[in-house]
Amino acid sequence: MNSYVERLLDRISNGKLAEDRRNAMVELQSVVAESNAAQLAFGAMGFPVLMGVLKEERDDVEMVRGALETLVSALTPIDHAKSQKNEVQPALMNTDLLSREADNISLLLSLLAEDDFYVRYYTLQILTALLTNSPNRLQEAILTIPRGITRLMDMLMDREVIRNEALLLLTYLTREAEEIQKIVVFEGAFEKIFSIIKEEGGSDGGVVVQDCLELLNNLLRNNASNQILLRETMGFDPLLLILKLRGVTYSFTQQKTINLLSALETINLLIMGGLEADPGKEANRLTKKTTLVQKKVLDHLLMLGVESQWAPVAVRCSCASDTLSSVCEAPGKIIKLCMFTVYSHFQALRCIGDLICGHPKNLDALGSRILGEGPQEPALNSILRIILRTSSTQEFVAADYVFKNFCEKNADGQAMLASTLIPQPYSMTHAPLEEDVNMSFGSMLLRGLTLSESDGDIETCCRAASVLSHVLKDNIQCKERVLRIELEAPMPSLGGPEPLMHRMVKYLALASSMKNRDGKSSTSGNSYVQPIILKLLVTWLADCPNAVNCFLDSRPHLTYLLELVSNESESVCTRGLGAVILGECVIYNKSPEAGKDAFSVVDTISQKLGLTSYFLKFDEMQKTYIFASASSAQPRKPLTRSTAASMADIEDVDDSYLPEGKVDHPILSSIFDSLFVTLVKSLEADIREKIVEVYSHPKSKVAVVPAELEQKSVETEAEYIKRLKAFVEKQCTEIQDLLGRNAILAEDLAKTGGGSNSQPEQRVGGASDRVQVETIRRDLQETTQQVELLKAEKVKAESEASTYRNLAGKIESDLKSLSDAYNSLEQANFQLENEVKALRSGGPSTFPDVEAIKAEAREEAQKESEAELNDLLVCLGQEQSRVEKLSARLVELGEDVDKLLEGIGDDVGLPEDSEEEDE
Amino acid sequence: MSYAYLFKYIIIGDTGVGKSCLLLQFTDKRFQPVHDLTIGVEFGARMITIDNKPIKLQIWDTAGQESFRSITRSYYRGAAGALLVYDITRRETFNHLASWLEDARQHANANMSIMLIGNKCDLAHRRAVSTEEGEQFAKEHGLIFMEASAKTAQNVEEAFIKTAATIYKKIQDGVFDVSNESYGIKVGYGGIPGPSGGRDGSSAQAGGCCS
Repeated sequence: MNSYVERLLDRISNGKLAEDRRNAMVELQSVVAESNAAQLAFGAMGFPVLMGVLKEERDDVEMVRGALETLVSALTPIDHAKSQKNEVQPALMNTDLLSREADNISLLLSLLAEDDFYVRYYTLQILTALLTNSPNRLQEAILTIPRGITRLMDMLMDREVIRNEALLLLTYLTREAEEIQKIVVFEGAFEKIFSIIKEEGGSDGGVVVQDCLELLNNLLRNNASNQILLRETMGFDPLLLILKLRGVTYSFTQQKTINLLSALETINLLIMGGLEADPGKEANRLTKKTTLVQKKVLDHLLMLGVESQWAPVAVRCSCASDTLSSVCEAPGKIIKLCMFTVYSHFQALRCIGDLICGHPKNLDALGSRILGEGPQEPALNSILRIILRTSSTQEFVAADYVFKNFCEKNADGQAMLASTLIPQPYSMTHAPLEEDVNMSFGSMLLRGLTLSESDGDIETCCRAASVLSHVLKDNIQCKERVLRIELEAPMPSLGGPEPLMHRMVKYLALASSMKNRDGKSSTSGNSYVQPIILKLLVTWLADCPNAVNCFLDSRPHLTYLLELVSNESESVCTRGLGAVILGECVIYNKSPEAGKDAFSVVDTISQKLGLTSYFLKFDEMQKTYIFASASSAQPRKPLTRSTAASMADIEDVDDSYLPEGKVDHPILSSIFDSLFVTLVKSLEADIREKIVEVYSHPKSKVAVVPAELEQKSVETEAEYIKRLKAFVEKQCTEIQDLLGRNAILAEDLAKTGGGSNSQPEQRVGGASDRVQVETIRRDLQETTQQVELLKAEKVKAESEASTYRNLAGKIESDLKSLSDAYNSLEQANFQLENEVKALRSGGPSTFPDVEAIKAEAREEAQKESEAELNDLLVCLGQEQSRVEKLSARLVELGEDVDKLLEGIGDDVGLPEDSEEEDE
Repeated sequence: MSYAYLFKYIIIGDTGVGKSCLLLQFTDKRFQPVHDLTIGVEFGARMITIDNKPIKLQIWDTAGQESFRSITRSYYRGAAGALLVYDITRRETFNHLASWLEDARQHANANMSIMLIGNKCDLAHRRAVSTEEGEQFAKEHGLIFMEASAKTAQNVEEAFIKTAATIYKKIQDGVFDVSNESYGIKVGYGGIPGPSGGRDGSSAQAGGCCS
């Protein structure tokens, strides 16, 4: 094989006859396309030959075409069934060899300017092959070639086949390459993408539309600059046009669903914004949300996520979710298709949730939106209907997310929703389902809350409860309002109306009894009913004494709750939340009524459960996956959700439907969001503190007043004794009481692992707390010291900085004065020069003047030097006498004066000399 | 949002001459004394009016560092105007102008209007390049010239607008084929298209950048 390929290559490079060379090329192409060995052989020696053809023989279109086709074949893996996995893939090796030289890529790009269609087409295919196998190398190479990307962009305006190929190529090229993304956008990519999408029929278009949207998403992902550019130039209109559904038939092909999903991802990317930690990012995001809503994206999303749910779709939806739930048994393409469809609703709802989150204007926009053409109704009602009726749990969670975000820090919105919660006559709440279009939000919700009891299915009720908990959250007015709602009993014979809250507790009991009856196996899908109702109660009772009062109005409630908490067959979460509600009955209890006050609740807990095992329920709950994971993602905001590719998300949906025998239903992790977990944790701390306080200070029934023990003056002995006796009796019962409590405590201790174990544990806990406090205090001290130290250092640094600044200022001013001086000197010099010039050119007429000046100058100089000479002479005289004196003294001391003065005489002479020279 | 024309600009010149600051002053009307080094290319946009017509300017601010040269070159061809910036207090930035110009001539379309800007003219006491020298260079190479200060905003508006006016005049004169977007000019939906298609072959080859 080697020699065959070699011979062909030789004919191509050295052949004399054009015809023969062409034939050799054709042969080479066909052999390379078919055999791995030929590909290998070609890779070893073929590239230089073919590159030579591409470089030198541009005019011979047929040769160039042949060379390119051969290259395409050499880079295309041959799909042999028998090829082993660990065998070297010659095609991969060849792409590596070809892409290694940047010159090759530059050469290929230049071929894109050729007129011949096949030349451009093959070239694009080669580039795509290179890009698939070594993307980074090609991305780098293309950036170094001026106009490289420009050429590729031009291909988007080429014939359809070329255009589609170029689109694919650009999609690969822009993946995670910010600079390329920007250049592509600079070259007008947005305009071109949207015009192709429009040409192809928008969301109804084929895979080309999908490619366009993928490219668009690549250009916008984490790229703030490109996002701004899109907003500044095209705006969001063309994007929204894609989401807009035309016609009344909502039959989605798989392609259409994928297209819509891609467009939704685009919106998601725009909401997310760029990657950088720009302080203006939050503001930027809000502007974008505003713009998007102004642009009616909300309408389109509602259309997609809500309205298209109406009648014809309901069928499809339920079919889809049926397949969803059985996905683990029969995976397949059809199921995927159905999942996509459901998923796009789901995704649209998520988008709505993100759009309104923390954005008051958008909240209002959603709150006041009316949907529908025939019978109209508020958008929120439609979303509520999805919650109550959808057969897809995922969709319920997504729609629930909209309400959660709508109610978050939106007291007005909550009040608006709660204001419609007016009890309806029984006949109304049980009207046929179809009539709910005319219902208010509140009636619909109330019906949802009460509907299901007749058929024993409390799923709907639990979903409504979830919505109600959003409406009540942190809003005392709403809580009080809903407390006053009373429901008629299903049958008048069963008694009078009961408060809504009592009905909810009833459902809670119903849910657990149903579970017990059915056994575990069939209820895995429903195991979130109890936690959701419990969440409603926890939210409701929080900070609301009236709600606590209402809850305790019915004596069996407490009993039931205690049973629930101690029931080992309930999930850890259910028991934990039950314990939280019991605790709320203590800490928010303002009731003075005996038997309903905080003391009696605590007593009951300690009698029935034991305080230690009660507290244990909290610990167990905190350790569950849901609480542990939610708390680890504490500062998580809905907006920073990872925008993983939609496909990956769908995989997750898959997983959540696997009945893994987990104790808690997977959707609980979205229902129990981080805010709720935080609430529960703070409640737990309060509960522990309050219960210990209440229990250790029982209300004493007998007031001991010392004065009362004395015999009163008007009292007879008998009366006195009688009174004392009564007093002692009272005290006696109280002592009995206390003994009883003591016994309970001791029993409790024994139950929870022996007296030696748990009580000391508490104390140890206390001790360990103390130790911890001690360490923290020490840490604090150290930190304070450090801060002081740093402060001192800072002051020092600052003072140093200011001295340096001063210094710098001084030096600068020095420099300035120096340069000024220099400037003035130069100026003077310039003037003088000019004068000299003028003087020189002035001619004889100015001569006398010069002579006069010269004479004057000489005179002056003479005078000056004479004066100086005189001064010098005086100095010399003085020096002379001084020397003489010193010499005498030195002689006295026995020094050789002449020798000492030998050198000095010359120095002294010098100034005189120079002086003379000056003269 | 509607505009008669959309012009694409690029800003080029040595690192640290104040390209990003000029853009910020023009788009946001503020000055940032300490600006991060531009990485690659940054984008800004603003609407102006010329001859009573709304004109949208899209401006790409490029990194001046040598290492980004190959990236920034990709932006030359599609630009209708370029602001070539030097720093009047740093002689070497002026000395490098010739190489920038050569780059532009090589990669840009021949009709690109180039505006030479001597930035930081508020720092007159540290001036290292005289106004006359700047003028002389611009004259020799057929550029429009202005000294400006991104700090005081002096001449910043004028620089961008004058460049736009030059481009606008070229469109009126039929130098550009505005239907071809690769020249960095786009006819908007909201505006009246200029005399497009009415270009005469001689002026298309004119080569000079300043009319």
